[in-house]
Amino acid sequence: MIVGEQKPVQEILQMVAPHRKFLILGCGTCVKTCFAGGEDEVALLASALRLASRKDGRPVEIEELTVERQCEDAFIAEAAEAVSRNEAVLSLACGAGVQAVARRFPRSPVLPGVNTTFLGVLEHQGLFTEECAGCGDCQLAVFGGVCPFSRCAKKLLNGPCGGSQEGKCEVDPDTECAWHLIIERLSALGRLDQLRAYVPPKNWQTSLSGGPRKLIRKDHVI
Amino acid sequence: MEKPYRLSVFFCTRIVENEAPLLSQAPESVEIRPVPMACSSMVKDLFLLKALEAGADAVSVWVCPEGACRHVQGNLRAKKRVQRVQSLLEDIGLDGRRLTFFNLAPQDRVSISSRLEEIAALLAGIGKNPAGPPRSRDAEPGPATPAGLEPKAPDTHPG
Ligand code: SF4
Ligand code: SF4
Repeated sequence: MIVGEQKPVQEILQMVAPHRKFLILGCGTCVKTCFAGGEDEVALLASALRLASRKDGRPVEIEELTVERQCEDAFIAEAAEAVSRNEAVLSLACGAGVQAVARRFPRSPVLPGVNTTFLGVLEHQGLFTEECAGCGDCQLAVFGGVCPFSRCAKKLLNGPCGGSQEGKCEVDPDTECAWHLIIERLSALGRLDQLRAYVPPKNWQTSLSGGPRKLIRKDHVI
Repeated sequence: MEKPYRLSVFFCTRIVENEAPLLSQAPESVEIRPVPMACSSMVKDLFLLKALEAGADAVSVWVCPEGACRHVQGNLRAKKRVQRVQSLLEDIGLDGRRLTFFNLAPQDRVSISSRLEEIAALLAGIGKNPAGPPRSRDAEPGPATPAGLEPKAPDTHPG
């Protein structure tokens, strides 16, 4: 899923300062799971912003709404009436959601309330880790299911680097060494031999480095 | 006569089974709005902010001593949520001391009384909640816990 965290409340206060009546729009999918922008976070942020504005003697009117997904127009449409009642929208979705909402409502300022951070997994309650860089050419089969592009600090394709200590990365000892994990996993699978093959430099053309990407499923396009 | 300060107390019913001991020990300057909880894990960050929005000048969360929660980690979860809301209050420029958190042993009336006096002294120093709703002198005090947010008394594990 997409992992993000809510922006610092002071930054949000500055963004919404020109508006006296705005909508906080949550997203009930990825950002809900990482406690950044679901219904609960919308309610908490709204309450905090109301308190802050009352303290400063400039009360604001805040409407709260959470749609299932902000990256899909069918769900965004559900917010149309609420958007029309407000001067601006503070979106708590990922950057894709914010842009999709802005596209749908060209006359409303749409402000981002979340810093979109990475594609990751929920390791345990409250801990999310980055596990995919969305490179557009998945090589997990080569690396035993552990991605060195997103999980090795040096993005080594023929690792490890030699600095790994007791399974931890030398760049950040709080992080597991991706190459330690790759070797462990391939050993467990009895496929360590796989690492004898040289892995050539990655062609990043398929990633964001090759420019903005588009995915077309012709069978779904009419 | 209306007391100058309002305090919402969210308390685990293992500390005191109902609000009577709190109300009977209320300091002279403080009107207490008690919110009983079957376990302190029921306290949500939103409830604490809503209490301030509804007019509480201070909010206090009372939980069992560490290691003594009947749901194992309820009081630890409550503590983390309180810490988060304290820092949120600081971020928005409201004094984080308005939200207090105490571990209290069951039926410890002496500590209850001294904690309430501590809060009364704190309120005398920091004053009313500047973000509360407007208060008229004759007005009936509004709810310090907004409708719909009163924790229900569950008979199941609150999770
Ligand atoms: S808008 Fe972003 S956060 Fe929400 S469902 Fe879509 S991808 Fe996930
Ligand atoms: S190889 Fe590419 S697509 Fe596969 S997990 Fe790594 S970054 Fe993601």
